[in-house]
Amino acid sequence: MSDTTLLALFEDIDPAAEAIDKLHEMGIGDARINVISGIPFTHKMLGRPHPWTNVSRIALGGAAAGFVVGIFLNFGTPLLYNVSVGGQYITPIPPGLIIVFEMTMLFALLSTFLGVFLDSFFPNYRPMEYVPEISDGKIGVFFKVPQDEQQKFSDALNQLGAESVQPTEARQL
Amino acid sequence: MAVTSGYLGSEKAHTEHHEEEHDPRESLMYDPLPRGVMNDMVMESMHTTSWKFWVVLGVLAFLVATCFFYAWGYMIAEGLGVAGVNRPAYWGVFLVNTVFWIGISHAGTFISAILRVFKAEFRRPFTRAAELMTTFGLIQAGASIFMHLGRVWLAYWMFPIPNARQLWPNFHSPLMWDLLAITTYVLGSTMYLFLPLIPDLAMARDRSTGWRKTFYRILALGFRGTEGEWRHLTTAMNIFAFAIIPVMFSVHTIVSWDFAMAMRPGWSSTVFGPYFVLGALHSGMGAVAIVLVIMRATMKHMDYFIRKEHFDALGKLMMIVSFAYAYFFFNDYIVQWYGGDKWTDTLLHWLEEGPMAWMFYQMVAFNIVIPFLTLWNKRIRTTPWLLALIGGLINVGMYWERYIIVPVTLSINRMPFTWRLYQPNIEIFLTIGTFSMFLLFYMIASRLIPLIPVWEVQEGQMVHSLRKVGKAQVPTVSEFE
Repeated sequence: MSDTTLLALFEDIDPAAEAIDKLHEMGIGDARINVISGIPFTHKMLGRPHPWTNVSRIALGGAAAGFVVGIFLNFGTPLLYNVSVGGQYITPIPPGLIIVFEMTMLFALLSTFLGVFLDSFFPNYRPMEYVPEISDGKIGVFFKVPQDEQQKFSDALNQLGAESVQPTEARQL
Repeated sequence: MAVTSGYLGSEKAHTEHHEEEHDPRESLMYDPLPRGVMNDMVMESMHTTSWKFWVVLGVLAFLVATCFFYAWGYMIAEGLGVAGVNRPAYWGVFLVNTVFWIGISHAGTFISAILRVFKAEFRRPFTRAAELMTTFGLIQAGASIFMHLGRVWLAYWMFPIPNARQLWPNFHSPLMWDLLAITTYVLGSTMYLFLPLIPDLAMARDRSTGWRKTFYRILALGFRGTEGEWRHLTTAMNIFAFAIIPVMFSVHTIVSWDFAMAMRPGWSSTVFGPYFVLGALHSGMGAVAIVLVIMRATMKHMDYFIRKEHFDALGKLMMIVSFAYAYFFFNDYIVQWYGGDKWTDTLLHWLEEGPMAWMFYQMVAFNIVIPFLTLWNKRIRTTPWLLALIGGLINVGMYWERYIIVPVTLSINRMPFTWRLYQPNIEIFLTIGTFSMFLLFYMIASRLIPLIPVWEVQEGQMVHSLRKVGKAQVPTVSEFE
């Protein structure tokens, strides 16, 4: 029997969190549930596992790369083309710190931005499961259930205050 | 001895005091509306335009075409000779504009990042309006630098690209630091503007048709609001909020070093860095006040999102920044005044009694005296047009301050035979051009992107509640994170 994806829409966070608990009780694991919302609810509020993100690691990697680039620009390039002026140091440290700082921050910020794109698979213009009511503040709980048990889950979530529980299909956003 | 305790003052005053008590529901955070209603309000504010809007837009577009593009093209064709810069003031209004616009750009980061880090809740409805000022202000700052270059087509010599002569840029020069710092700040603040905008673009996508739908669909990048997407987005926004603050400080400090690193009377100062940063925040706050008042007066439903409490908070910030600015100004001034250097004394006397004294005194009056005398008063702070007026005067004062630092200070040096008062020429048109372009971009943006971060407002409203303590309803804030 194939699975079908149901979308339960909730007005508030409390019934949505209760519905997720109920789904767990009914044997639906976290991997088969997804929640979408118009504001960032934490995993604790929803009773969901902590979502993994690589953004901070990517940002750190970017900062390290920027640090290296800054070192190269300030301490490497003058040695590639050595211009001696008035006995001044070729690679002085104090001005070098400024370049290293700026390059570190630039790369850290760029990689943080890039990290969001990589982790969220942005841009993604393929059809996806979504309803516009989400940006009106509704909370959507997607879950996959065997097709023949659809009614059982709908009834359970309707009892918990779901505004609607319906099969959903990917659509063009 | 018996002591009687009681209310100090008359019974009437006591009653009036109670009547004046602040009702928490006057605050946006305690006066929630359903998200769908707020979305509709923001979308309607973007879609509603009167004929006056198009007239102003047309005038600004004309000014940009003539005063910016034509004037700049003319200067490129004829050479920098058509500008007023000449010995001894080789740095003129172009660099005044650069410093001014970088200063304006600081408000966005300050409001969006520092207030976010410190969880100042009043920031929520106007973070984006301030962030837009950062991006558009930096565009004008960048344009002004390129104008100053003269031979703008050789700008790539500044970038660390090995050229035909294999000559790398000199990274020991403050001008090179400027390039890197401003580039970092432009990119960083634009990304920081875009990230929190994504959920609102998705909201606009869900409510639009036609070309707008396509526009928002592309920019929203397929955002749906899944747990993962929110997690990545909020993590990135937190990183940006912390990381952009030192970048913001570095940018204007480095701009100040363009001057302070030179052994010139009036420039060589160890407090120039923080003095410039405070000056930037001063003008930026004033500009935010002006923008908020104009937004509230001209855009539909903005009176729901932008309230007296926001002007009050902004007015307090302006007052505090004004105190700090005054402190650094005096610090810079008194050390130079006491130093006894002949040429610095000459410059200071010239500022106090010379032909530009009017500018010096206006600067002190607009930046320090007027904010001191007015912003302590709550009624003034919460009167939008008065706050905008004070913000406008601060910006005039800050423009004069930069004018005094750049061409006026350059006019007096250690070689009296070169003294000459700088007279701007085509710079006046180009200045009008940059101001017009800033306003034009802002007006276009106000009809294309949601100026109110609705999801942040809703999030704020969800964490605020009224708790009953005794007989009073006490405002309470909880934390989501």
